[in-house]
Amino acid sequence: MTVSALTRPGERDRAIVKFSEIDWLFALALCLIAGTGALMMFSIAGSSWEPWAGNHLIRFGLCFLAMVMLAMVDLRVWSALAYPIYGVGLLLLVAVEAVGDVRMGAQRWLALGPFSFQPSEVMKLGIVLALARFYHGMSADSARLSWWLLIPLAMIAAPVVLVAHQPDLGTAMLIAMTGLSMVVLAGLSWKVIAAGVISVVAAVPPMVMFVLHDYQRKRVLTFLDPESDPSGSGYHIMQSKIALGSGGFFGKGYGLGSQSQLNFLPEKQTDFIFATLAEEFGFLGCISVLFLYGAVIFMALRIASISHSHFGRLAAAGTTATFALYVLINGAMVMGLAPVVGVPMPMLSYGGTVMVTVMIGFGLVQAVRVHRYSEVTSGSGALL
Amino acid sequence: MSEPSIFFSEVNERQGVFHRRTFLLGGFAGLGLAALGGRLAHLQLVETQRYEKLSASNQFNFRLVAAPRGLIVDRNGAILASNRPNFRLLVSREEDLDPKTTLKTLAAFVPLDEARQARLAKDIARAPKRSPVSVMEDMSWEEFSAINVRAPELPGVTADMGEVRVYPHGGAFAHVIGYVAKVNKEDLAPTGPNSDPILLHPGFRIGRQGVEKAFDLDLRGKPGARKVEVDANGREVRQDEGGDIAAIPGKEIQLTLDVDVQNRALEVMGDESGAIVVMDCRTGDLLCMASSPSFDANRFVRGLSGPEYRALALYDRKPLLDKVMNGTYPPGSTFKPTVALAALGAGIDPEARVNCSGGWYYGGRTWRCWKRGGHGSQNMHDAIKNSCDVYFYQTALKIGPDHIAKAAHAMGFGQTFDIGVPGNQKKGVVGSTEWKRKAVKREPVWQPGDSVSYGIGQGYVAVNALQLAVMTARLANSKKALNPRLIKSVGGVEMPRGDAAIDLPFAAEHLKYVRGGMEAVANDTSGTAFRQSQLGLGDIKMAGKTGTAQVRSFDKLASRSSVGVTWKLKDHNLFIAFAPYDDPRYALSVIIEHGGMGGATAAAPRAREVMRVALLKDPELRARIEKPLPLPEVPESVIMEGAAPEAPIVTPPPPAPPGEPT
Repeated sequence: MTVSALTRPGERDRAIVKFSEIDWLFALALCLIAGTGALMMFSIAGSSWEPWAGNHLIRFGLCFLAMVMLAMVDLRVWSALAYPIYGVGLLLLVAVEAVGDVRMGAQRWLALGPFSFQPSEVMKLGIVLALARFYHGMSADSARLSWWLLIPLAMIAAPVVLVAHQPDLGTAMLIAMTGLSMVVLAGLSWKVIAAGVISVVAAVPPMVMFVLHDYQRKRVLTFLDPESDPSGSGYHIMQSKIALGSGGFFGKGYGLGSQSQLNFLPEKQTDFIFATLAEEFGFLGCISVLFLYGAVIFMALRIASISHSHFGRLAAAGTTATFALYVLINGAMVMGLAPVVGVPMPMLSYGGTVMVTVMIGFGLVQAVRVHRYSEVTSGSGALL
Repeated sequence: MSEPSIFFSEVNERQGVFHRRTFLLGGFAGLGLAALGGRLAHLQLVETQRYEKLSASNQFNFRLVAAPRGLIVDRNGAILASNRPNFRLLVSREEDLDPKTTLKTLAAFVPLDEARQARLAKDIARAPKRSPVSVMEDMSWEEFSAINVRAPELPGVTADMGEVRVYPHGGAFAHVIGYVAKVNKEDLAPTGPNSDPILLHPGFRIGRQGVEKAFDLDLRGKPGARKVEVDANGREVRQDEGGDIAAIPGKEIQLTLDVDVQNRALEVMGDESGAIVVMDCRTGDLLCMASSPSFDANRFVRGLSGPEYRALALYDRKPLLDKVMNGTYPPGSTFKPTVALAALGAGIDPEARVNCSGGWYYGGRTWRCWKRGGHGSQNMHDAIKNSCDVYFYQTALKIGPDHIAKAAHAMGFGQTFDIGVPGNQKKGVVGSTEWKRKAVKREPVWQPGDSVSYGIGQGYVAVNALQLAVMTARLANSKKALNPRLIKSVGGVEMPRGDAAIDLPFAAEHLKYVRGGMEAVANDTSGTAFRQSQLGLGDIKMAGKTGTAQVRSFDKLASRSSVGVTWKLKDHNLFIAFAPYDDPRYALSVIIEHGGMGGATAAAPRAREVMRVALLKDPELRARIEKPLPLPEVPESVIMEGAAPEAPIVTPPPPAPPGEPT
């Protein structure tokens, strides 16, 4: 297929062309990460597909199909659905407040027939789409600094407050940081950014002391002084560091990680799977996986930068920001650089919800790539 | 798109800002990833050794393994205390374990009633985490294997094989060896040997009495360790055979006791309450220290039930009391050889005669001889042989208490002996003017009447069975003030012998004279214990002395006969002896509590039986016994009968005793 053929009107709307326009190298990187996750789950289950590795691969396979199908969805459809998705997400968050299940001390889950899911996950996508949609219609000057700034801030604040109230501080922070990073990407004035950063830094200590729940405060304090509570919250950090450190350069070998195999490592298949990897495959394995994550982030940002529509750019970049935050927060937590918050390593950790969220996000990113030349109107969805 | 130019520049400016800031975002992400990489390098490359150590200490654990407790053997190596395998069922407390449910499940395999379940659940809840509590001991093989198969699905439950102390002779050595029992809270000490964590091991037992207590540390040995791989809950996953540290078994303690002599002693005691001590006259080794009735030490190892303990403690023959060392008795006539020695030492002529008419009027009352009709004219030899009270009344009065006390101390009375076991030995009483002034506040002056009863071993004199045996052995040895020895060796190291002692402060001919009197007691047809002292071992003869110790005061006219008197009010019955007479090897003392009047009735026949076993076990003496008798003098038919040692070749007609001798 020649370049000239693609310029023919309607040619880019053909399914086969769209399919070929998907970034397959990007897709391969995702498969490698998910495959590594399954490999580790197979090891810690004592060389068994049960109970995690098999499930993980099946989920990834389904999510991968979803990503490919979403990649075909026109950006105009995404744009048109942006506000509705955000609105539904917000409604669900209110609903979970009223009727949600309480699991592990927090009200996060909403039952939907046989499935139960966390509305906060919907919001991770919703905030990216809604802000991208909002800034798509803004001029550069308005985006830099104007009274319009209050609208995106309110759009961010509403879900953050609801999620934090569940309480799920990790997700609330993730939503807030994703939203704020999009506001910055959209072109907020540096002066405002500097003022915001300073005020946030100043607000952290009083937040920790007065607003956080007891267990949240304890996590933060334990992080600051892990020795103060070696068998409680400090235990997780300590055991994770032992797993990492004892891995050394080459690791203890596949299936030979004593920390994970003998259950010293908490949440070894979910939040701390990176420590499992570090123990069995050492520095070499860790750096390779970090490299894969870096490659995914790089490729996604490249996709964002080649998009012709502002909506596509912001949507892809916002999704990437969420993903990068996941990786960095989880990595820092596992390595004892951040307090223990329930943020998994995307694709590597076991867990359906995050996998679905991330892969739908990458479906959006792929859609941005596939439809990079299409224009999105600033008005409400004309196609729908 | 009606105003493309404006729109275009607008779009372009937005795009430019976006590109710069995306580049920044990518930079931040890259920086973050680099920081993680740096942290990884620090942890995995720089500090890896530190974390490897921490990881290993997580993964591996040492589990204490109790050392086999040292054996206790008799002088010939026969086992008195050893260990036998024991299938135990242990339950330990775990986070996700409700002990009640576990116990209910276990009740399907082993007998555990509701009450026991409740008590064990409490024990498990109280025990430190992961420190197992013994739920069942001595399971059968079937129970053990059934539980072992299901153990993986029962968290916290282990069935293992431990060792438990066993005393193959039951109660025969209970007082000497003592027993082991579960560790109490009071046993644990913050420092020293009792701070050892092995004491918390469910199979560990601590020495409670006797040898087990005195040599507890020697017997314990050194616990070993099993290197195991554990998971985060402390459950064993694998065993690392190469990392094990072997336990060092406890030292073997060899006693001087002889299984056969001791068992025979317990056997002949029957239901009687009392003590028998046998001592080697040459070395001081104790061959027998039997206290009757006894108790089964094995029952104490597993823990005695309340009713069981009460039954033992309240029985009026006091099975828990060691009558060898803890019971003191008036020696009665067994004290007369000592009095005789004192008299000889004080210059009394042994041939000087005293007339016995059955009683002696002195100090306003009549001091009766045990023989109503009297013994007639008696020298010292006759007086010992006949156990004439009147002779010793007068002799004791003549020499006074201090001579007697001096001789008694020299013979080992009034003191305790260091035989290596604690056992709360009683010193007894040896009366003297000095002693009375200090001890009897009510009447501190020694009265002549005190001397009179002192002469026949009544009044201010009390001894125990061990002292009586020591006295007899010293008399038989005639040279050394022998000390008794119970512990022959500890871990192969020989303990000091009993004949490493000072010389006796008596003239050799005096000792010989008294021994002659004792020989007559047993071998002269008119001796007080002639009938009961025939060993039937050829030319090996026994010498002895009978004794009766009053436990009630007698009315002048009342009969001293024990017939029809309640057990508790009967006289104690004593006998001391040594054999062979011509070359003494073994000395013994027998005390039968409330055995009735006359040492010859209850004590002497038992002494003879025990002495026979001791003599027959001695290879030298056995050779002498089995040496054929000179042939020409005896008709052949008699030899045939004589081959059986029980039947004496010539049976002299037993003299009809007018009354029981004392």
